[in-house]
Amino acid sequence: MTNRIKTVPRYGTAAKERLYLPAIFEGLKITAKHLFVNVGDINSVETLEYPEEQPTDITPRYRGLHRLTHREDGSIRCVACFMCATACPAQCIHIVATERTDGIDEKMPAHFSIDTLECIFCGYCVEACPCDAIRMDTGIFSVTGKNREDFVLQKEQLLAHKSAFGEDTSRA
Amino acid sequence: MSTLAVVVTLVTIVLAALLALLMIPVLVWLERRVCGLIQDRLGPNRTNVFGFRFGGVVQSFADVIKLVFKEEYYPAHIGKGRWLFMLAPMITFAAALLAFMVIPFADDLVLSGERMKIQALPVEYGILWYLAIGSVGIIGMIFGGWMSHNKYSLLGALRAASQMISYELALGLGIISMILTYGTIDFNAMVQWQSGTVLGFLPAWGVLVQPLAAIITIVALFVETNRAPFSVAEGESEIVAGFFTEFTAMKFAMYFMGEYVAMNTASAVIITMFFGGYQLPWLSTEALTTHFSVVAWAIVVLLPPAVWLFIRWMRKNNTVRPTVSTDWGRHFETKVLTYVLIGMAVIIDLILIYISLLPEGATATTIAVTLLQIAIFVAKLMAFNIFFIIVRWTLPRFRYDQVQWLGWRYLLPLSLLNIFITAIVVVGVAS
Repeated sequence: MTNRIKTVPRYGTAAKERLYLPAIFEGLKITAKHLFVNVGDINSVETLEYPEEQPTDITPRYRGLHRLTHREDGSIRCVACFMCATACPAQCIHIVATERTDGIDEKMPAHFSIDTLECIFCGYCVEACPCDAIRMDTGIFSVTGKNREDFVLQKEQLLAHKSAFGEDTSRA
Repeated sequence: MSTLAVVVTLVTIVLAALLALLMIPVLVWLERRVCGLIQDRLGPNRTNVFGFRFGGVVQSFADVIKLVFKEEYYPAHIGKGRWLFMLAPMITFAAALLAFMVIPFADDLVLSGERMKIQALPVEYGILWYLAIGSVGIIGMIFGGWMSHNKYSLLGALRAASQMISYELALGLGIISMILTYGTIDFNAMVQWQSGTVLGFLPAWGVLVQPLAAIITIVALFVETNRAPFSVAEGESEIVAGFFTEFTAMKFAMYFMGEYVAMNTASAVIITMFFGGYQLPWLSTEALTTHFSVVAWAIVVLLPPAVWLFIRWMRKNNTVRPTVSTDWGRHFETKVLTYVLIGMAVIIDLILIYISLLPEGATATTIAVTLLQIAIFVAKLMAFNIFFIIVRWTLPRFRYDQVQWLGWRYLLPLSLLNIFITAIVVVGVAS
């Protein structure tokens, strides 16, 4: 084990360092440089002018707002197996299952709601889903509302969300 | 006292109050903008009145309005001490404000044979007043921390007090060596002393005559204002917010504004004692008055390029990136400000040309010299305030024991040594 001991040199004991002032001026030089460069050209600052300027760097793996996917015939893909609700650590997914009578499958959700105030956007629901019925690839990162009910997304809203990156694969 | 003296005194008091009070919102805004730009962010830049942002300075006024209308909250456990709890921030604020009142903004104005000090308090013992009143501010901090009945507040107050005691010594001794050098306790006389030259070519500014005393005093004044790197009294990483943890709304704002007034006062004292006060280097007031036409013509020539540069900078920077959909009327603001600036430059140029054509020793020249000195003073004050701000956003906070170590083990012996050397030199020069 002895050969893994690394001696870290101790700084701050030399006379120049104990004077503090040279180091302070070095630091001032760096901050002043940043200040004057940015004062000279304010638009070189990378800060996004947010509501007017939207982020452009949202990748397909970004976990945005959820959506429920469709089958080829346009009906809901979800089979109300409760896997996502079980996996959810925030317990924000509420499903009421019902029998599916159109012969495509046996079960479907009558109600499917996600409380986005509770949701921690961990993506476990997407991982848990055996049917690829729930995805987080909408690229929506901001949810606004005037009361608490506005933040509980119902099945219809979740179905209406479009993927920002095409329908082909789930990457999240 | 003649009517003239009364008018000049009133104007000076208003000027001092404006310089101290109007500087607060500007400094708060500067602090946030400079901090942002240093860290490659933008800082507050959107608040506007009818589209006029002035770089975002309107934000500070909005903040003040918000703080005024905020709920006044008193912790239930302070009991009968409420009046002292309320008084504490006022003491800090008033002390910082009063200490500013002895700073000379210009040399004595001589009008029809009367000598009038351009100083809100026309006293001859300015430095003593500053030392006495400036350290009263700490009493407000101690009261505030003590009355809060809160461990963090008490710790913050104790830290502020102990820090003040340790550095008041170094500050006092540093100032004494300056008093020995200048041979006066009058701020104005100190500035007049600095209008000469040392070694034949350097301006006799305190910082060049007494570099060690300058460093000691500037460091001690940083501590006095409770600002980074010596802001242990409000060390939010350890003691929540220090002595103003329990303070809300306008009471908090009083402490907050008191800090900025104290910083402004410290800047004023530093430039008055070490950076030539209202003087231009190499130009004493007599030289300025006798050769005012030369100075006036220099300003007349230099003002248009300066304004042109500023307008060019504004047209480049008062914009948004092309990717932003709206510019919040910045284009209109730039246009209006361009016309205002050009108009002001033309008016100032015309006035200066008129004055430069007057015979020597005219009243207008005297007043113009005073106004010029006030402008120089304000420019230097702003520069030093920005230095304060840059230092705050450059250095991390000292640990509490390091603060005491620096004060007692380094600054105190150094300032004593400096006094001995100064005394020997002063006696040697005199004999």
